[in-house]
Amino acid sequence: MKSIRDFANLFGVDVDLNENLVVKRGNGYFLVTEDLKKAMAKGFFYVGSYLGKVKNGVFYPGFEFLRMLSQKDANCIVVDEKTEWLFICGRDIFKRGITGMKGSTKRGDYVLVLNKNGETLGYGRVTCDFDEVKKGVAVKNMLDLGDFLRREKRL
Amino acid sequence: MSGKAFFMNRYRELGWQYKNVDLKQAIRINHANIKKPTELIQRLRDRGLALSKIAFLELGYWVDKAKFSVGSTSEYLLGLYSVQEAAAQIPATLLTELQGKKVLDACAAPGGKTTQLADLMFNTGVITALDSDERRLIALCNQLERCRVKNTIVYGLDARKVSELEESYDRVLLDIPCSGNFANDKEWFRRRTIKDVERNAALQREILAAAVKVLRGNGEIVYSTCSLEPEENELNIDWAIRKLRLRVEKIDCLGEEGLTDVFGKQLDSSVRNCRRFWPGETQGFFVCKLRKERSA
Repeated sequence: MKSIRDFANLFGVDVDLNENLVVKRGNGYFLVTEDLKKAMAKGFFYVGSYLGKVKNGVFYPGFEFLRMLSQKDANCIVVDEKTEWLFICGRDIFKRGITGMKGSTKRGDYVLVLNKNGETLGYGRVTCDFDEVKKGVAVKNMLDLGDFLRREKRL
Repeated sequence: MSGKAFFMNRYRELGWQYKNVDLKQAIRINHANIKKPTELIQRLRDRGLALSKIAFLELGYWVDKAKFSVGSTSEYLLGLYSVQEAAAQIPATLLTELQGKKVLDACAAPGGKTTQLADLMFNTGVITALDSDERRLIALCNQLERCRVKNTIVYGLDARKVSELEESYDRVLLDIPCSGNFANDKEWFRRRTIKDVERNAALQREILAAAVKVLRGNGEIVYSTCSLEPEENELNIDWAIRKLRLRVEKIDCLGEEGLTDVFGKQLDSSVRNCRRFWPGETQGFFVCKLRKERSA
């Protein structure tokens, strides 16, 4: 749980997960409802909402967890439609594609990437000071929704 | 006994003249994730998708024209809609009063109908989703995560062993493994033989029998296949009426009445309550709703 909280802190927010409703399978963490908890039998493969996995002490989030952060006013940037498409194709983000930002967005900060509708597309890491950079990559892609398609290809 | 001529002759005996079909792609809106479906439709139209409402589905749309894959838009990846063949959208909608219920999706992967059930349940209650193939389980879990499903437990378990979970269910969806049909598999006539059909029919009976054991007294089973072969459809349901003491409920949906005269064999008259879809507007499909006889 510490790794999960530490990850949320990277975005300038705390998460208040009910630990009684967080279950683990292998290195994966899932958030369940009371009903699910009562109904679960041993040997489940997947349950409830996938929060993410911890590997070597590092938390790798699932998309539901990123959405939970976005509801907590985490550091974020908003991108335009073209950049949204490039981002979900796995690309990094150029400054010209950023139309808004909220919270801390200094070099090295982690930010959620939202589209114009406020929907969470993934997250990235700020690679420069936005005030100084004129062109080039401003936010490095760490995870984007296109991951669902890449997973399918790997199957 | 195989080949196009063999199967075409069977279909003719059953009252349908073979014709080639070109299936239209369809999508289903996940309304738990988008409050106003009309807004989503407009967003997709703005992206260049031509969509038209499917008359017989509340949340289904035909994809009339698409300049890109409908399975790669942000809206798809955000779980706002799913790509699901039109007939395949029907079975889950036949289960009634789903909210808060315990539901078994016995042959769940790759998850199109599981995510639809979760959507119809507004993520309340519990869905138990089973499949025995690890690769298909991973595909199922990806769908659950993409569609933001919150009420499902997935087990890597053969549906025939469902009683090992020591649970009982209010509703059971049996979208059962089947031989498929030529409308969604161009190689179907070359690949399939009557032996495959018979083998699948036997497996389907085993799964149906296992599902009945975990169905609560007043529960509902929806049984569906995308096979045209009566062995996997009407003949199995006739068997279930006699051996498992199930009754076939009337359903109000697309499709023709189930066959009650199959190659000269007379089936229970209630089999006509089943619905059979010959390929055309949709793929080939079969669906019915079953309950336990009150004294069973």
